[in-house]
Amino acid sequence: MKFNVIGYLISEGFKNVMKNKKSTFSCLGVMCATMLMFGIFFAIAQNINHIVKIVESEQGMQVFVDVNMPEEQIVQVEETLRNIQVNGTNAINKIRRVSKQEAYDTVKEQLKDHPDAMEAVEVEMFKVSFVINLTDLSYTHDVVSQAEQIDGVVKVTNSENTITTLMSLANGIKMFTLVILTVLIIVSLFIISNTIKLSVHARRKEISIMKYVGATNNFIRAPFAVEGIVIGIASGVISILIICLGYNALANKFLSSSIAQKIQTISLLSFGEMVNLIIIVYILLGVGIGIIGSAISMRKYLDV
Amino acid sequence: MIEFKNVSKTYSTGTEAVNNANFKIDKGEFVFLVGSSGSGKSTLIKLILKEEEPTKGNIIINGKDTTFLKQNRIPYLRRSMGVVFQDFRLLPDRTVYDNVAFAMYIVKATPRHIRRQVPMLLSLVGLSGKAKVYPDELSGGEQQRVALARALVNNPSMIIADEPTGNLDPDTAWEIMTLLNEINMRGTTVVVATHAKDIVDKMNKRVIEIKSGNIVRDEKGGYSSEV
Ligand SMILES: Nc1ncnc2c1ncn2[C@@H]1O[C@H](COP(=O)(O)OP(=O)(O)OP(=O)(O)O)[C@@H](O)[C@H]1O
Ligand SMILES: [Mg+2]
Repeated sequence: MKFNVIGYLISEGFKNVMKNKKSTFSCLGVMCATMLMFGIFFAIAQNINHIVKIVESEQGMQVFVDVNMPEEQIVQVEETLRNIQVNGTNAINKIRRVSKQEAYDTVKEQLKDHPDAMEAVEVEMFKVSFVINLTDLSYTHDVVSQAEQIDGVVKVTNSENTITTLMSLANGIKMFTLVILTVLIIVSLFIISNTIKLSVHARRKEISIMKYVGATNNFIRAPFAVEGIVIGIASGVISILIICLGYNALANKFLSSSIAQKIQTISLLSFGEMVNLIIIVYILLGVGIGIIGSAISMRKYLDV
Repeated sequence: MIEFKNVSKTYSTGTEAVNNANFKIDKGEFVFLVGSSGSGKSTLIKLILKEEEPTKGNIIINGKDTTFLKQNRIPYLRRSMGVVFQDFRLLPDRTVYDNVAFAMYIVKATPRHIRRQVPMLLSLVGLSGKAKVYPDELSGGEQQRVALARALVNNPSMIIADEPTGNLDPDTAWEIMTLLNEINMRGTTVVVATHAKDIVDKMNKRVIEIKSGNIVRDEKGGYSSEV
């Protein structure tokens, strides 16, 4: 019995969707735009976070010592670096020495297309350095200043600047997404409640008969809520497909582009790594906007 | 069954549509509600259906005072009454069968019950052969029969009709009234607001006459007291 009633209400909801094709379509359009907008910025923000992590783990910090430093002193510097502490805890996770030869080879490799550029360069001209991996990135600043104090250390490089730039970029995108999303959600709510309003208007005769026959308010409302939810979920599904195809195409293009080729350590998240979150958000957005939108218009136009 | 105690209704426009109405309609009665246009018949019916709220007084339906009935209980009150209007109010995009079955969906009847009940009512109103037809393919009288079948399909204890024959020719009107009378014979209380003088005279039932919102006569007999 229950199943029969639910089936009836759902089929009435689908009838509404089909009856008002025009407003249903414009509604789908706006909701898809909302979701796509969210999807695009979400994907960008996620990837920036991802790149930040790569930069954090791969670039690390590099401490250069004086070119003419004798081996015994180099070992001492390495030991001092290894024991740097911040707030009483070990700040150094890993430390690796980069020899003169290794530094020379790296540059040679980078300039392999211009062999003549290496002619005047000798191995002895390179500084020995240490690549340091921190136990926590928030120690960066303290470790840099401590390392600079060590006798014989001439230069300390770190990716702090890159990371803060990326982080603030990610935060900016998040804020921007939030604002755009809020505006679009309001527009979607307006559009969907307008669609439901048209639908209520088209069925006003039926609704008045339902009232006389003794239909409960919820029974009268259910098909309109179904209509809202159907439009919401449909927008979600369409948006997922567009985002999936679009993302994969763009990600491949970006990875094969010259910029990405130069920064070899860069990789992008695959769509599969983000898809779960996007689907959940889309379903919540779709169902939420659908229910709230139809509730708004029923409150206004369905005086039961 | 239906009792009005000092009921008055003044619309927000200031119109006094019903003024201190007192009457009682018992189970199984057949009552005509008569009066000239604008006298307050439809208002009285809307008060029974709780479509309008009385400004003063109490309305008791089936032993329950509906004055303070909660909004969400109104549907259940309405299930105890079948309603018929002058303009039939059928859904044009549904067949005769579906128009009647519609009322059963709304009260969440089982499919089995619907399959048994709808043909029975169509046969009662003499439309067994027209189940698959759409309303605009029916005559006015036939459409009103469908509306009657719909009003009766959930076995209400009373039928409330507001000018059910207003759009029909005299012969068809008589047929519909006869049908209402038959339904009354089966135990259903019937209240009919009407202008059909000839029929009221001929049927010789209880008549409540209302004039500018006041009940001026309540007795068995014809459309008006003077012969
Ligand atoms: N919703 C309303 N708002 C304001 N005034 C109303 C409303 N409905 C009816 N009236 C007024 O109340 C009075 C009674 O109207 P009602 O519809 O009850 O008359 P009636 O007896 O049914 O008339 P008729 O025979 O023409 O159907 C009239 O003066 C009418 O204008
Ligand atoms: Mg009237």
